[in-house]
Amino acid sequence: MSDPNLVPATPPGHNDVLGHVDSPPTLFMVYAAILALFALTVFLSSTGQFGKYTLFVQLAIGSVQAGLVAYHFMHLKHGDRIVVLTALASIFWMGILFVLFMSDYMSRSRVVG
Amino acid sequence: MTTATTVTLKIAPPPPEPAPATPNYLNVDYSLWSWLTTVDHKRIGILYLVSITAFFLAGGIAAGIVRLNLLSPDGAIINEDQYNRAFTAHGVLMLFFFLIPAVPGVLGNFLIPMMIGAKDLAFPKLNLASWYVFMVGAGFGVFAILNGGIDTGWTLYPPYSSRSSTSSVVPGVFGVFISGFSSIMTGLNIMVTVHKMRAPGMTWGRLPLFVWSLYATSLIQLLGTPVIAITTLLLMVERIAGIGIFDPMIGGDPVLFQHLFWFYSHPAVYIMILPGMGVVSEVLTCFSRKNIFGYQAVAWSSMGIAVVGFMLWAHHMFVAGISYYSALLFSFLSMLVAVPSAIKVFNWTGTLYKGSITFQAPMLFALGFVVLFVIGGLTGLFLATLGTDIHLHDTYFVVAHFHFVMVGGMVLGYMAGLHFWWPKMTGRMYSDWWSRVAACIIIVGFFLTFVPQFILGYHGMPRRYPNYPQEFHVYNVMSTAGASVLGFGYLIPVFYFTLSLFYGQKATGNPWSATGLEWQSPSPPPLFNFDEAHMPVVVAGPYEYSLGIDQMGRGLPEGPGLGTSNDPSSKHGETAAPGPMNKETHVVG
Amino acid sequence: MSASTHSPVLKHHFGDLNQQHASERLGIWMFLATEVLFFAGLFGAYACYRLWYAAEFEFASSFMNVKFASINTFFLVTSSLTMTLAIRCAKLGDKSGIYRNLLLTFALGSAFMVLKGFEYAEDFHEGILPGASSFGVTTEQHNIKHEAEERGLDTGKVRLFLCFYYIMTGIHGVHIIIGLGCILWLVQMNYANALPPENYSTVEVVSLYWHLVDAIWLFLMPMLYLAGAHIPRLH
Repeated sequence: MSDPNLVPATPPGHNDVLGHVDSPPTLFMVYAAILALFALTVFLSSTGQFGKYTLFVQLAIGSVQAGLVAYHFMHLKHGDRIVVLTALASIFWMGILFVLFMSDYMSRSRVVG
Repeated sequence: MTTATTVTLKIAPPPPEPAPATPNYLNVDYSLWSWLTTVDHKRIGILYLVSITAFFLAGGIAAGIVRLNLLSPDGAIINEDQYNRAFTAHGVLMLFFFLIPAVPGVLGNFLIPMMIGAKDLAFPKLNLASWYVFMVGAGFGVFAILNGGIDTGWTLYPPYSSRSSTSSVVPGVFGVFISGFSSIMTGLNIMVTVHKMRAPGMTWGRLPLFVWSLYATSLIQLLGTPVIAITTLLLMVERIAGIGIFDPMIGGDPVLFQHLFWFYSHPAVYIMILPGMGVVSEVLTCFSRKNIFGYQAVAWSSMGIAVVGFMLWAHHMFVAGISYYSALLFSFLSMLVAVPSAIKVFNWTGTLYKGSITFQAPMLFALGFVVLFVIGGLTGLFLATLGTDIHLHDTYFVVAHFHFVMVGGMVLGYMAGLHFWWPKMTGRMYSDWWSRVAACIIIVGFFLTFVPQFILGYHGMPRRYPNYPQEFHVYNVMSTAGASVLGFGYLIPVFYFTLSLFYGQKATGNPWSATGLEWQSPSPPPLFNFDEAHMPVVVAGPYEYSLGIDQMGRGLPEGPGLGTSNDPSSKHGETAAPGPMNKETHVVG
Repeated sequence: MSASTHSPVLKHHFGDLNQQHASERLGIWMFLATEVLFFAGLFGAYACYRLWYAAEFEFASSFMNVKFASINTFFLVTSSLTMTLAIRCAKLGDKSGIYRNLLLTFALGSAFMVLKGFEYAEDFHEGILPGASSFGVTTEQHNIKHEAEERGLDTGKVRLFLCFYYIMTGIHGVHIIIGLGCILWLVQMNYANALPPENYSTVEVVSLYWHLVDAIWLFLMPMLYLAGAHIPRLH
């Protein structure tokens, strides 16, 4: 029995309980894109053309892949604001860890004065 | 606004005293099995209460051993190795098995659904699981202690903990690892509950500040605890496998452990203090019969502490060998977190100003919190400053600082909460006189224990040392004497709380005449918190004491210690004259 | 509010199914946030050492089996697809479709673990192990230890990389196994007709966890296997 006074839990436009149903063609295209990006990263890493920036290229491609997984497979495309905020917050907090760890490890060799 | 006009609002009369719930959550089933398989958040709160009290006692005994040993400059009762194990046990027990679960596990579990007008937390079975996981973790910790203890300090730094220590490191660390999951489960449950299960009309701007502070705490629990999980896992792997990522022999950096450890353990101290701050906001408003000064500021400062608190951990590592530039950054960030804490203190002071203050035990504990937290917080600034920290690091100054905030702050906050909500949880009132005496003894004993430690630390006595030069003798004796007073003070509530269960006056639904939703239900509450046919609908903010209404817009009953004919706040249906501290509020419905 | 007026799937403390589903979804996302931070600690530690010991880490990474890891990547990404299709089948009430997709996901995840087992066996055989007594201990003369010494690299730091390799893939593997268990639990629920369309969110909860484990692999793989992809072997 639904209480109409309850704070709505789903965004407006959803009246039914099921929400959005995925379309298989979209899913297959996303799948193909992720695999294609993987082939790209393997290829670019083996050529060594980016030198010391190879890691950044790999991480960038990985981020795009993870973004595709999150947006399409994990349904962030249709997610509540708070779900998207949770996902972004986890990345932000991971960022805090990385940036502040690096602030030490990148500057340890530099001597004061 | 220069003319003072009296506004008469049409406020519903105070509700009649709710009929005692039959059955209530306590007497619905007396069997042990019903307690061990309960999914009722209130019962789970009581399960946590019993267990953490036991760990508090154990941690207190360990503290007693430490302080007794320090009565003599050469170590009075135990040798160096045993001393290492004693202070490690004290730290591990108090931090992981008392302070971190205390307010979220006991008061958070019990009160959050009631304060937001829900029937239970979002995931009741997960809640029960969190208690069992906590007990399993604590079981490993206790096993480690009984198995001779750990001698690494609660901070577990390698390479000593991973390589050289012959003490019971793996069981103890495993206990910490497991109990961390309990913390994550509780935090997750509270966050989802606050997002998705608020009663109609309970907007974010009408949430009690206790809920805000527990929400901020849960955020920290959720995001910080996994890092201590991976850290303890890596430590155990290194110890068991004989090789690992902190091993200097293969290029590993022990300071990396410290980074990972403190990434959690610094926010962990905010897990410990934020709930206490939430309790203080509830108690100060009720016992000064005033709205909180600056609701938005206090709510946002809780979130600010939670977020900024993740960016300052390396102030524990200033002399560990991190880069100077990194230390500068962390020192600056550490000063920054004092700002939201200070905002709260100013707002609490503003709340008290021109309030109708009475001094029941919850209020005494809450006021004690404010004073002791201010001192503790200010001394933290000396430690956050790079130059002075070089002198003060690893001395008793640090010990005094964190005991001021954790004991003077958090434990007093927990006691305030326990005393405030005891009538709701048990349906009984405890002795007013003895509770005030206990509060005073605790606060006096606390000062006597820890103020000498500031002096000791400033003069250079290192922490974790079982012996010291003769010149420090008198301060150590003072500190131990204070610890005995403090210990005695903690024992007194055990008596009057236990006695209250059998002989205490039966409590009404709202004995303190407070405004929150949890007080609109009988004491003790029924199984699903409220009459299921009449779940609460919220129309007002959380602290409308000057308007004399609760969150459902009804009048407040006569509070104890109030109600002299000259006291304007006790006259129902009338407001006090508008003045600088009385905000006009729109009452809906 | 009698039991006959609401779905058997609705739990008592929730007001309606939308609230229940939204809460479950938010709950699992918050749990995933904890998993992100769990691995972040590990990745952060790796990043610090990779910065300091770039030569040794890249060298050690060149000894990892990129072929096996690529096949495993294919397995895992495909399993993410089938897991998402399983949610779709649940929403549409397609019980046999749920079985098909869940079992495919399970098969692909298991294939990942089997191949990982072969990979570890190969590593053990070639002495690609971090322990002092096992590093480079193999009949093959031109092994990792020998080649590191030939290049003038610090074998300790090479072994440090190997610590990360085993710890990271090991913890990831544990997460896969837990995921496989959850998938079997869903299969059992489906058998008991407990996954009607109103209860699709149970499938979604496991699916979200599975996708995260996949996403973590998408970062893990380049970090461990492709760091030295440009380095040719000396022999």
